[in-house]
Amino acid sequence: MTELTPADERFVAFDLDDTVREQAGLNGHTIEQLSDYLDQGRVPADPRIDDSPECEIALRGLERLRRARQTLLDRDLERESLRDDGWVASILANITLEAHAGREIPLTHPSSTARLVVTEGAVRGILRETGDSMQNMFVGRCALVGDVGVPGAPISIRVDVTVFPGENIPLLAAQLRQAMYAALSKYTELVVVAIDITVSDLHALPDASVREIEH
Amino acid sequence: MPGTVREQVASQLDAAADRVLAERAADGDLRAFEVLVRRYGPLMRVYATRVLGSNDETDDVVQESFITAWQQMGTLDDGSAVKSWLMRIVSRKSIDRLRARRAHANIDDTDAPARESDAPHVVAEVESQTEALARVLAALPEDQRRCWTLRELAEYSYGDIATELHLPLSTVRGLLARARKTLLREMEDWR
Repeated sequence: MTELTPADERFVAFDLDDTVREQAGLNGHTIEQLSDYLDQGRVPADPRIDDSPECEIALRGLERLRRARQTLLDRDLERESLRDDGWVASILANITLEAHAGREIPLTHPSSTARLVVTEGAVRGILRETGDSMQNMFVGRCALVGDVGVPGAPISIRVDVTVFPGENIPLLAAQLRQAMYAALSKYTELVVVAIDITVSDLHALPDASVREIEH
Repeated sequence: MPGTVREQVASQLDAAADRVLAERAADGDLRAFEVLVRRYGPLMRVYATRVLGSNDETDDVVQESFITAWQQMGTLDDGSAVKSWLMRIVSRKSIDRLRARRAHANIDDTDAPARESDAPHVVAEVESQTEALARVLAALPEDQRRCWTLRELAEYSYGDIATELHLPLSTVRGLLARARKTLLREMEDWR
C-alpha cells in the first residue's frame, strides 16, 4: 500500500560534476542521453533504458520539466499577445522604406535640367496594388527584369500569384496582366515586352504549382 | 482606393502563408511585414526575455531584430523559413546584448548571483510548477540558461548552439547537461 511506484519516487539528486555517480544512478546512462532519447520519442526502444526503474524516474522528471517548459512558454506567449499595440507601432515607425527602394527608373521631363525618377520599389508597389485590387487572387513577389535604368530598354516583369481554389487560372492571369500593363503605362515609361505570371493554387503544395507563363 | 479593397487585402495578408508575406516584405511591402511582426513578435519577445533573464531590454532587442530583418529580407532564400530566420536574428541580438552587458560590467564571471527576490526564503510556499521553472531558470548561470533557452525554446541543434555561441560542442553539451540536472533537481520539490 505504501510501496512507492517509480512515478512517486523522488529523483536521486546527484553531484552535478560527477559523471560516474550520475551513470551509477542511471543504469549506466547520463541525463543527456536520456534527454536525447526523450527527444527522439523513445524510439528505437532501448530496453536498457525502458527496463530500468532509475531511468524511468529520471525520464518522468524530464517529461515533467518539458511540460512545465511548454506551460511556461504558452503562458508567456499569452501574456505577450495581450499587450497593447505600442511595440508594433514602435517597430514600424523605426523602419525605413528606402531599404527596398531598389534601382532608379528615369522618367522624361520637359526641362533638360530636371531629372525625374521613380524607384523600382515604387513600381513593385504599383504592381502589388494592382493585384490586390483584383478578386480571388493574391500577388506575391514582383520583379523587374532588364536594364530599367536605360530609357526605352525592353524589360519584362515576373509576378508570383496565388489563386483561390476553383478559379479559372488562365482568365485571371489574363485579367491581371492587362491591369498591370495599364498601371505601368499610366505611371511609368517602361517598355514592357512581357509580364510572366507564375500561378500557384492556394491549397496546393509549392512543387505542385501550375506554371502559366505566356508572353 | 476603396476601403473595402484595403480590408479585403488586410484579411488576406493576415491569413497568408509565411512565404508570401516574406516575399512581399522583401519587395518592400510594409503591411506584409507588419503581419510577420504580429505573428512572430510575441514569441521573439518571450524568447529574448528568457535569454536576457529579464524584460528590461526586450523592447530594444526585438525592435533591433525586426529592423535588421526588414533590411535583410531580400537575403532570405526560402520565405517559408522566415520564422526560424527571425528566431536566429533575435538570438544573435540577445547574445550580443549579453556580451555587451558583461563587457560593461567588466567582469568575467558569468555566474551572476540570484536576485534577492529569488532567494529561497522569499519564495512563497505555494508555487506552481511553472512559476518554479521560471524562477529556477532565472537563477541559472547565464551560460547555462543561454544554452538551455536556445535548445528548448528556439529548438537549436547542439551544433547550431556551438556555432552561435562560439563554443566547442563538448562545452555546449556540458552546459546543457548541467542546466538540465539543476532544473530536474530543483523541480523535484514542485510536483
